[in-house]
Amino acid sequence: MSVPWLKGPQKRAAPGRVITTPSTQAFLGGVKDATGKTTEYSPMIPTYVESCTSDRYLNPNLRLLVSSCYHKMCESCIDRLFTLGPQGCPMCGKILRKMAFTPQTFEDLVVEKEVAVRRRIAKEFSKRREDFSDLRSYNDYLEEVEDITFNLINDRDKVETEARIAKLRVENAALTELNIQREEREAAIVRAEEERVQREQLERAEEARLLEEDERMEREREKQGIIDILQSTDKSATKVIAKSRAAAQKRALRKAPTAAAQASTSAAANTAARMRSTVKDEPHVPFTDDWYTHQDKFVLRTQYGDPGTDALVRDLVGRDVLRAGGYDIREAWDRAIRTSVVGLAVQPIPNTSPESAMLSAV
Amino acid sequence: MVTAIPSAVPNDAFSASPSHSPYEASTQHKHWRYSRTALDEQRASLNSAAVHVIRNAFEIDDPGSSNAISFLSPADEYLLVKLYISKVGQLCAHFHMPEVVEATACSYIRRFYLRNTVMDWHPKNVMLTAIFLASKTTNHPIPLEQYASHIPNTTPSDVLDLEFLVAQSLGFEFVVWHAHRALWGIYLDTQTLPDISFHTIHDAYIASVAHVRASRLSDAELIYTPSQIALACFHIAAPVLAEQWAKAKGESDVISLLPAISDMILQEGKPPDLERVREIDKRLKICKNPEKVVGTKAYLKKQAEEEAKAKEKREKKAAEIRALEDARDPFGGELDPEGAAKIERAKQLDEDDD
Repeated sequence: MSVPWLKGPQKRAAPGRVITTPSTQAFLGGVKDATGKTTEYSPMIPTYVESCTSDRYLNPNLRLLVSSCYHKMCESCIDRLFTLGPQGCPMCGKILRKMAFTPQTFEDLVVEKEVAVRRRIAKEFSKRREDFSDLRSYNDYLEEVEDITFNLINDRDKVETEARIAKLRVENAALTELNIQREEREAAIVRAEEERVQREQLERAEEARLLEEDERMEREREKQGIIDILQSTDKSATKVIAKSRAAAQKRALRKAPTAAAQASTSAAANTAARMRSTVKDEPHVPFTDDWYTHQDKFVLRTQYGDPGTDALVRDLVGRDVLRAGGYDIREAWDRAIRTSVVGLAVQPIPNTSPESAMLSAV
Repeated sequence: MVTAIPSAVPNDAFSASPSHSPYEASTQHKHWRYSRTALDEQRASLNSAAVHVIRNAFEIDDPGSSNAISFLSPADEYLLVKLYISKVGQLCAHFHMPEVVEATACSYIRRFYLRNTVMDWHPKNVMLTAIFLASKTTNHPIPLEQYASHIPNTTPSDVLDLEFLVAQSLGFEFVVWHAHRALWGIYLDTQTLPDISFHTIHDAYIASVAHVRASRLSDAELIYTPSQIALACFHIAAPVLAEQWAKAKGESDVISLLPAISDMILQEGKPPDLERVREIDKRLKICKNPEKVVGTKAYLKKQAEEEAKAKEKREKKAAEIRALEDARDPFGGELDPEGAAKIERAKQLDEDDD
């Protein structure tokens, strides 16, 4: 019996790489991603295996695989238990084969199970709003599908649920076929788009590289040209160099507009697309009020003789033990002085009757 | 860039006049300001109303007993409150609370007893609650367990029971402007005056601080503004300097107010005579409102009354909902969303206002 995952260190996948062991390909219920972007979930955290009581501390290369009944087991356990043929799962007793183990994709096995169930259901029941005459029947269909899914995920009424699935399948056979085709077409379109974008990027990179190459060659030729001229003529070296530089500049100016034009057209297209989606920016109306701040009554200094806050200001106790970030003693001084000038002009309420000394004398 | 800034508020709604200052917009200025006579009247009327109510409460308990009881006079109440205000300082020092907590608590107690009477609520509990509340509102909070455990014979519920009542009596107006901060401002600002030595200012300040503490025991905060009180305290310690500063601020009018404030502080700023207060406390034990004392007939009667009221309200609400449901079409379903919404609203509304 082939044991692909135990074939030694060279077969061990680095965390993050996609695993394509036969079991992944065979087990249809697991998360099998054709694009190759899904990676195995393999946390380097202490993990305990129930079936053999070993854990990652003792064996850092421990790899847990998931059974079709969603129980986790390490590879050595699987090897030990299932090499001689189908056995019952040590946790729940369901008969399993050695092939029926997949690597884990999600941290939570409940999620893994749910994803598997939903994948299966989505493949079979994928009708859309357009396939129904009215909203009510569409909602009824969705509710039926969701009910089935829920029952499957939570292992409720297995027999009944399977019957419902069969019934629905029969009802929707024709439409399901159409929908599958439709989905494939859409997936193809998306793939084509992606490829196009990738190709464009490659092309652009290639162009840029070529351009650079050309420039380099150009400069080399120039230098060689100058050297040749200097060798052959008696003209002054500086004049020769100046002439060649002027010629080079003219050439660069001629080329620059075209290159810039190319870049600007693509940039303009991008910004135009972005502009259409942004919201208009209206002029800001600041909040205006007319509080009398008493600012004319005093001038705040940067320094006062204030022994009470000396320790605070000079932070004598230690680095920022007394002060928080942004603290400024001048704000406290400002508030104090403002309090002392505010309300000086307020007249007390006059007595309505002749002053009684009833309570004041105590 | 922008030439004319459109204003959200038309500019002639307010003018930058001195009356549109932050202090004069504060609740302290708007709601907690009295003349001396108004204060006396307020306390007198409060006292007589309280005596009337308590007399009736005593009558329920034991007809004819109330004639023998001598209720507290407004002056007695004032004295008792003053004693407990004077104790706030010690307690706050015990918890190492900053001065603003102490000042705020004193203000809270003083304002509380402009709305309530000593015969209903003993100032000792009000003091504890006021300090706890002040520590929270001035952003120097202290955990309740820690607070209660450091005060002998106090449980957390003693402090919490009165908290809502105190807050309500304050009108939920918790921010108080204090004279000690204004005094600090004067201390800093006098340093900008020419030809004054720091030493003079500092000595004057230290002396004035004691006067500000004394002013908390008087009614000054209910009549004058904190800056005026601070200036008066400074004036007691250094009259010439204070007047010089006031003139430099362009507020020479305030100088005429200062003697009245100084008199008030010097005369009323002393803690009351303990013997008199002890005697008042003894009398208070007898004339306390029996409705607030657990177990008396009046208390039980009050409980029964409140129970009856609550029950009546509940029944009324249930009847209302029943009426709504009956009026609604039972087969309404989606066709009667309004009816359903009405019933939902009626169920959720909780009319606490009597």
